Amino acid sequence: MNSIPVSDAPIVHVDNVAKCYGKWSLRGTRRVHALKGISLEAAAGEVFGLLGPNGAGKTTLIKVLLGVVSPTSGKAALFGQPAGTKLARSRIGYLPETLRVDRHHSARSALRFYGRLSNMSRQEIEKRSDELLELVGLRGRDREPLKRFSKGMNQRLGLAQALIHDPDLLVLDEPTDGLDPVGRSEVRKVIERLSAAGKTIFLNSHILQEVEVVCTRVAILANGEIRGSGTIADLAGNEDNDAVLLDVCFNDEAAAKQFIEESSVGHPALCLSFDPKGSPRGTHRLFGKVEDQHSVDQIVDLVRASGVSIKSLDIKRPSLEDTFMKLVGIETEEGSGS
Amino acid sequence: MRPYLAIIRDSFHAALSSRVLWIAFVAIWVVLASLAPIGYQEDLTAEFRGARDLENRSRLQALLAQASSDPELSDTAVGRLAAAMPENVAEDLANVSAGGDAKLRTSQYADALNQCLDDESWYDKEAWESTLRLAELRQLDEVPDGDLDESRRRRRARLRIEAAMPGVFATRSMKSISLTYAGLEFPAAFAVDKTRFVGIINQLVVPIIINWLLGFILIFLGILVTASMIPDMLQPGSLHLLLSKPVSRSMLLISKFIGGCAFVFLCVVQLVLGLYLVAGLRLDIWNVRLLWCIPVSVFLFSVFYSVSVLAGMRWRSPILAIGVTTMFGGICFVVGIVGGVFDGFVTGPARIQAMAVAGDVTIASTQGSGLIRFDKSSNQWVEIFGSDAISMDRVLHPVVVDQNTVVTARTKVGRMNPFGSGAADLLVLSAGNDWEPEPSLRLPPATIRLYRAADSLLALSTSDLNQTEISGVLAAAGEQTDEEGDQKAAEAQEGVGGLLGSLSSMLGIAPSGFTSVLPRGMAIASPRSVVVSSTGNELYIMSRSQLLRFERPANDQPWGQTAEYGLEGDSSLTGVIAIEGSVLLVSRAEQPIELFDSETLKPFAQLPLSDRLLPTSAEGIGEGRFMLLTSDGRCRVISPENNGEKSNGAKSYLLKGKVGPSNVEAITYDARQNLVYVAHHTDSVDILDAGDFSNQSDIRPSLGVWRRVDKYLVGPLRFVIPQTGELGENIGSIVSGKSAIIFNAPSGEERIERYDILRPVFSCSLFIAIMLLINCVYFGTRDY
Repeated sequence: MNSIPVSDAPIVHVDNVAKCYGKWSLRGTRRVHALKGISLEAAAGEVFGLLGPNGAGKTTLIKVLLGVVSPTSGKAALFGQPAGTKLARSRIGYLPETLRVDRHHSARSALRFYGRLSNMSRQEIEKRSDELLELVGLRGRDREPLKRFSKGMNQRLGLAQALIHDPDLLVLDEPTDGLDPVGRSEVRKVIERLSAAGKTIFLNSHILQEVEVVCTRVAILANGEIRGSGTIADLAGNEDNDAVLLDVCFNDEAAAKQFIEESSVGHPALCLSFDPKGSPRGTHRLFGKVEDQHSVDQIVDLVRASGVSIKSLDIKRPSLEDTFMKLVGIETEEGSGS
Repeated sequence: MRPYLAIIRDSFHAALSSRVLWIAFVAIWVVLASLAPIGYQEDLTAEFRGARDLENRSRLQALLAQASSDPELSDTAVGRLAAAMPENVAEDLANVSAGGDAKLRTSQYADALNQCLDDESWYDKEAWESTLRLAELRQLDEVPDGDLDESRRRRRARLRIEAAMPGVFATRSMKSISLTYAGLEFPAAFAVDKTRFVGIINQLVVPIIINWLLGFILIFLGILVTASMIPDMLQPGSLHLLLSKPVSRSMLLISKFIGGCAFVFLCVVQLVLGLYLVAGLRLDIWNVRLLWCIPVSVFLFSVFYSVSVLAGMRWRSPILAIGVTTMFGGICFVVGIVGGVFDGFVTGPARIQAMAVAGDVTIASTQGSGLIRFDKSSNQWVEIFGSDAISMDRVLHPVVVDQNTVVTARTKVGRMNPFGSGAADLLVLSAGNDWEPEPSLRLPPATIRLYRAADSLLALSTSDLNQTEISGVLAAAGEQTDEEGDQKAAEAQEGVGGLLGSLSSMLGIAPSGFTSVLPRGMAIASPRSVVVSSTGNELYIMSRSQLLRFERPANDQPWGQTAEYGLEGDSSLTGVIAIEGSVLLVSRAEQPIELFDSETLKPFAQLPLSDRLLPTSAEGIGEGRFMLLTSDGRCRVISPENNGEKSNGAKSYLLKGKVGPSNVEAITYDARQNLVYVAHHTDSVDILDAGDFSNQSDIRPSLGVWRRVDKYLVGPLRFVIPQTGELGENIGSIVSGKSAIIFNAPSGEERIERYDILRPVFSCSLFIAIMLLINCVYFGTRDY
């Protein structure tokens, strides 16, 4: 099979790619800008997540990478080859969002068919099929007609066919769509295993938690533009610091408010606040902004110095969802403003 | 190629998983099962079958009526038969004898003769010894009655009846085929031998089955089933996955296209193999060419499928793909019909059938029973008689009698009266009369061809060959005004009147100056062919499978037979003969070309001719060479080898390749100028030097309005729009291995219709190639 690239060159290189669709109607030709000059890179061994709301241009970008559509301008390259060339495609494994395999196939015959499309020999296909069917949990049901398969089983088969020729780059479009929690977990494990094996994975998903868990880098796409890209930590760090949340037991609300007033004078950098409505029963919830462990220690010392007990303490970091919503939301507001 | 083979194989699997395919399979098995009990029996031909066997009913009635009314003929063979006729026929004959019209139908006469087959009390050995008996009858007569089974006895009785009344019966094969179904006999038997039976099955029955089942039903079914293949492939979850694989888009589409043909292929293979086995096991027809129907049918389907693919790609809807393909099929059908109408009504009737070159003037008869003369000044064929697509008339091939005169005739015939019992007048066309036809002598009834033999004009009828002097013909037309001419005209016009005249006319006896060339009691039977030597003193006749040579006598006596030769093979085989110097050429269907010494009729050479070619015309073209026109519309030259002699002294001949233009309609040799006139492409004529076949001149007539429409509109349309109908028709050619089919025209003439294989194959191939190119470009450049 194809060897894993050893050079440091990016596996996926998208340089200022734009795609404009012209839609003809009796009223005239309407132009839709699906991609507006996108640039990104994914290095070898990375799990790269592509995030964005519906209509952001994620699928168009994947089509450009697969060579299914040609960019209006800009360049896309895979393994240093222009996207869409046979050489580039021979090293890609692709799992479409909705896999359609002819109903006359069984899982094994479908793998045989897609293996042959990837120019594999019969022996190679048989060997890989056994491994992959085991991997995706379809062993034992590989000779059943596909019409008996559930959506989740179809998705597992899709993953197997994407891996049949041991590709260096895996393009997964909503890989866990339709899978139950166990299936999702298994797919995640497969992705992690492939990543560990040095494969590059380009993941398009709308399940942010999933992306957050498996992706080393993400790009957030909205309205045909990259709104942010980098590691999850990078994205979160750009926007907010961590917050500390304490549930403490003051005598009453007045005591809690007094504590806040006094600490804001003595330690304004901690930005302590009291949330009377969000407090659990019998406790009083305090918030503080923390930059490092020292800030946390300072807050704990202050509370304890006032003679009250700390029922619970939690460090809250901003999630990818927060970042995503913020980036997409700002963009949306800007878009509507313009 | 591995990925593309995988796609093709996958399409086969997809087809096999289709329920419609299995329904089609079951339907095919039912058809084959219903055909499987068909069988045949072969028996000696004995029974007379109505008008098909009684070719010249008028002559039959006249012979029987004359024999029944003339006591002197009562002991003759025909007299004894007349006496054996049942009561109703006897009454009818009495009526005919009295000058009335016959009232009984041909079938009733056939029934009467069939009764005679069962009761041979009419036979008298002595009476039949004076008849002209075929070799088969002579052999049967030598066998004692006790040694003959019923079948051979009835056959002998039939041959005796035919011998008693020559010129009445159509030539039938010695053996007849009768079909059976599950061991039960069909009501009707085919009076054909096995070879002809095979021809009928291959050229008519199988093409009809294949055309309907494969050319129409299966192709339509195939379009219904495969219309969803491309729209299905274009579904995002399927297409994007396919396009992500390292395959070429064009090859992917072509593989899908080939795979789409899998459905029809799987059905056709079963049907054709089934038909092949049924024909082989049940009818003993092991025709491997039948298997050609498999690729032809798939090819035919691919024409329609290429349209379905484009529509499916454009609209991604199976329904629209089916609709567009059906519309395309309708357009093909309409263009085919329009083309057929133009062939039948515009170009067909105008096709030159025979030519006569008198000096500088070319006169031709056409397939539409027209007679035309080429007028150089207007560069047009001028109609002497108009050509008509549905004409029942027959214009005899024009014959040059001198450099300013041509004779022909126009016979009115009808479907129920082939060759016409009524007679026609000879027509004389002369330069002096501006080539206007002038009626001359009355021709013998049922005359079908004219020949010039020195100063005589010969008229070949369905049973006889008569002659008259050309001077008499010209005189009767007013071309000779001297005293001698008047006398000859008067002699010629002097007919036999009254009752005897009527019977003579029915007998085919010429009443108007014609005398029979043949010895008494002899008749020429079909298939027949006659040729006269260049001196006009020798006459060669091929009648059935007998080859006869006659010499002109010094007096008015019938010509004397000097040699005879029995040709091998089935006596019903059609053929042509030609004379050149001391060599006689005989070419018959499915037989090698044979060359004979013209003096002794001894064969000395044979030249192989492909079985798919039927000889249609032959001419001696000087220097010991012949030109043979075959059913593929091409001329071939037969000429002596360099020294013309082998080492042992025998003459050696060669069949050379094609010469001259294609689509040849007729050839004629002008010995005076040593030129060969080759009519081709309806009514164009190339005038070739007979020595080196270089083109000396040509006739390219100006076209009329409809011919222009045909040439510049219908022709290109038929070229652009694939002629799927014609392709289907060509299955007959492929299965039979023949280049043409012989059929009877409304006028009763035997016509050869060439299979034009190249045009539909070319137009369909071109169409598929263009459609695939469009499909590939569309698929390759489009974003999905």
